[in-house]
Amino acid sequence: MDEVVGPDSHRWIDEHGDYLYRFALVRVYDSNVAEDLVQDTFLAALQGTRRESGPTAERRWMVGIIKHKIIDHFRKTAREPLREGDLTDIPSADDDFAADGHWKPETGSGSSWPKNPDGLLERKQFWNTLGICLDKLPPRTAQVFTLREMDDMETGEICRLLHLTQTNLGVMLYRARKQLRNCLSVRYFGKSEEGAH
Amino acid sequence: MSWVARFLPTCQEMSHLLSDALDRRLPWHIRARMFAHLRMCVLCEQYRHQLALLRRLLRLKDDSHGTGGQAPQPGLPDEAKERIRRALHSSHS
Repeated sequence: MDEVVGPDSHRWIDEHGDYLYRFALVRVYDSNVAEDLVQDTFLAALQGTRRESGPTAERRWMVGIIKHKIIDHFRKTAREPLREGDLTDIPSADDDFAADGHWKPETGSGSSWPKNPDGLLERKQFWNTLGICLDKLPPRTAQVFTLREMDDMETGEICRLLHLTQTNLGVMLYRARKQLRNCLSVRYFGKSEEGAH
Repeated sequence: MSWVARFLPTCQEMSHLLSDALDRRLPWHIRARMFAHLRMCVLCEQYRHQLALLRRLLRLKDDSHGTGGQAPQPGLPDEAKERIRRALHSSHS
């Protein structure tokens, strides 16, 4: 067990394991899948060679590998047909609007979102709440939201990757954004003692 | 309701347009009508801001995590580390 497996690989697990795991987890929302992705990344790294040197270059290199692994994972799940919730009209979908097309008064109002992101970035409770809200989305919807909003992937590329039409993707992103906004408004920003911890 | 309002998108239509606008550049005549609606409608302006803030947060976080920022989520579980260590070991031998 103590035998050296290549000069670096033991160190990798301690130095990059947590980071890569979190990187994967916020994108795939499944801890088992995230663990496997980290393992595949290290295995691929064993086979490969890194061009630049230095600790940040090593991290960048690993992140590059795990990004590909995540996309491969998405591609595999894209072969499964879309689930009910991803596209069919969920009854609550447009409960936010009155018959005349106006926002219902209770939607969004009363919650106090801040002007800029500075204070929130460091606030652990916010990210936990966001995680809970993302979990409530249908899985494929959460995937496309992550690729678009976190990874800034172009919509055309997401469509190709996940075999979606632009229209389907537009609907999924619309729902994801609105549901997350609503969920955060209620669970985080609605609270008057916001940020007490 | 004023006559102008009849030429403008409803809030429900706005919610779709505001989402679309985050993914592609909309034609100028649509942007003009959105602009006019936003000038008059606090709730849509609020919604626009919230979507933009959400995007900025997610992109900023992605840059910052790992560079000393607080870990927002648990790390790789110990059993997984052990399993990966074994996997790396056996793939090498």
